[in-house]
Amino acid sequence: MKGMPVVLQSDVGDIVHSRAFLIIAIIIGVLTIGAAVGITIALNRWLAPGLAWEDAKPMLELFMGLVVNYTPLIVLFTCMATWATDPIAKEKAKGPIESLLATPLTAKAVWIGKSLAIFLPAYIIGLIATVIVILVVNFASIVPTTGHFVLLPSQAVTSFLFLPLLMFALISLGVFFSLITNPVIGQTIVIFIGVILLQVVGQVGGRITWLLASWDYALYNLAGAVLLGVTAFYLSRSLSKERIILSSKGKWA
Amino acid sequence: MSEAIRLEGVSKQLGGREILKGVSFAVKRGDIFGYLGPNGAGKTITIRILLGLLKPTSGSAYILGENVSKDEARRKVGFVLESDGLYDNKTAEENLGYYARIYGVTQPAGRIDRILDLVGLWDRAKDKVGTYSKGMRQRLALARAMAHDPELLILDEPTAGVDPSGQIEVRQVILNMAHKEGKTIFLSSHNLDEVQRICNRIALIDRGEIKLHGELEQLRRERSANEVEIETTEAIAEPLFTELKSLSHLGLRERKDKSLTFVLQEGVRVPDIVSLLVRRGVEIEGVSRKEASLEEIYSAMLKEAEPL
Repeated sequence: MKGMPVVLQSDVGDIVHSRAFLIIAIIIGVLTIGAAVGITIALNRWLAPGLAWEDAKPMLELFMGLVVNYTPLIVLFTCMATWATDPIAKEKAKGPIESLLATPLTAKAVWIGKSLAIFLPAYIIGLIATVIVILVVNFASIVPTTGHFVLLPSQAVTSFLFLPLLMFALISLGVFFSLITNPVIGQTIVIFIGVILLQVVGQVGGRITWLLASWDYALYNLAGAVLLGVTAFYLSRSLSKERIILSSKGKWA
Repeated sequence: MSEAIRLEGVSKQLGGREILKGVSFAVKRGDIFGYLGPNGAGKTITIRILLGLLKPTSGSAYILGENVSKDEARRKVGFVLESDGLYDNKTAEENLGYYARIYGVTQPAGRIDRILDLVGLWDRAKDKVGTYSKGMRQRLALARAMAHDPELLILDEPTAGVDPSGQIEVRQVILNMAHKEGKTIFLSSHNLDEVQRICNRIALIDRGEIKLHGELEQLRRERSANEVEIETTEAIAEPLFTELKSLSHLGLRERKDKSLTFVLQEGVRVPDIVSLLVRRGVEIEGVSRKEASLEEIYSAMLKEAEPL
């Protein structure tokens, strides 16, 4: 993995200085503020003065479960769909990937460096957005009304650790397929799995709501991350410079 | 270790087609080695194998004594590939800095300034590469190849698509790298004039097979048509020309203003012709043996390789 941090640093710089990053950051910023304000107004109407904490607690915890799951998921998914395939497709078509691989860098160092470079900015944006929503909703609505701060440890672990891990595994798979095949295939895989994840969270939130406030849900996320991670690790054995080069020349490996 | 590159029976199959067929040759340290061949002959595939981008189906390739299958083998190699691989959104400095860090160059700033100066791009160091002309991009690609001060430079058609003045600049940079920096250069090209101007050794590849390999001057001598040009102080008068022409064993081929060209026949030596001319009162200015041009060698090779 020698040289991987150099790829990571350079790619993070490219992403952060790109116009796409600015646009995504603005859109997510607007959505975050909108969501925080909207949720606060809705909760202030629902949380009538005098409502017993015991009565409000289960509902608020489930509600917070939805917030802390959906916010990072949407952010990570948006960033991933933007950065995991198109920039790699351009690098393959114009030659920078071939030049990188002609150095002492290994194919795995390039893969992991590029995957982390997509994940880290997305994770930081997602983290900031989620923290903003949690703080605004709690301090503008829940704490003044109930006197309690709502965020379960299982939700925090899911939102800040397991779900991002799951998304990192998904990003690495997307980058892997973008490197060794037509990047459109990589993009299709990322979007397909990402949409399934959004659906799963939506369905869980809508039907078996108790799950979003449980450690079980956190562990499901961890299991998903491990499953995708092991899949990526297993597939990475077939990652070679030759496969990347031939796929760049239109010969899908 | 006096060899910079060694290929031993390297073959490569892609899509069921044998692209390289047992290619073997060596490049000595200090050489400017020209790797010639028509499009599709296997030049770029050879370079990709040397740079570890493709694995040979059989045979072995070594760079500075290391098998090319090891990523570390490329630590002392710089390269320019078919597409320059530069990042348009980065400046020249940033492009070079990126590669310098990959190769672990300590304190790269001074090195970057020096090589940008060497390729004549010092004043454009802070401009985005997207604004560069093709010739400037190629010079920057050469600078990138030098970022880590490698011993060997592998260049795949570095002047392709560059205008004539840009070609001269790129060629000058290559010569500077060889002569001032003491680098070994492996230059793939189908620009025969360029190779003849700057290379001391060559290999010719066609349809995946090495057809010729050796020192350029020696190949030119060996492949020369045994032509001798004799320069005279005065133009040869018509009667003498007719007489010499009638002596068919001399092999007189043509008369120019103040020179005669002979194709040496078996048993006839240059001094024999010279003394005959002197006896006829011709004053000799000089005698030179004409060597085959690289173009003639190349054309002859392709002709020989044509299927019957």
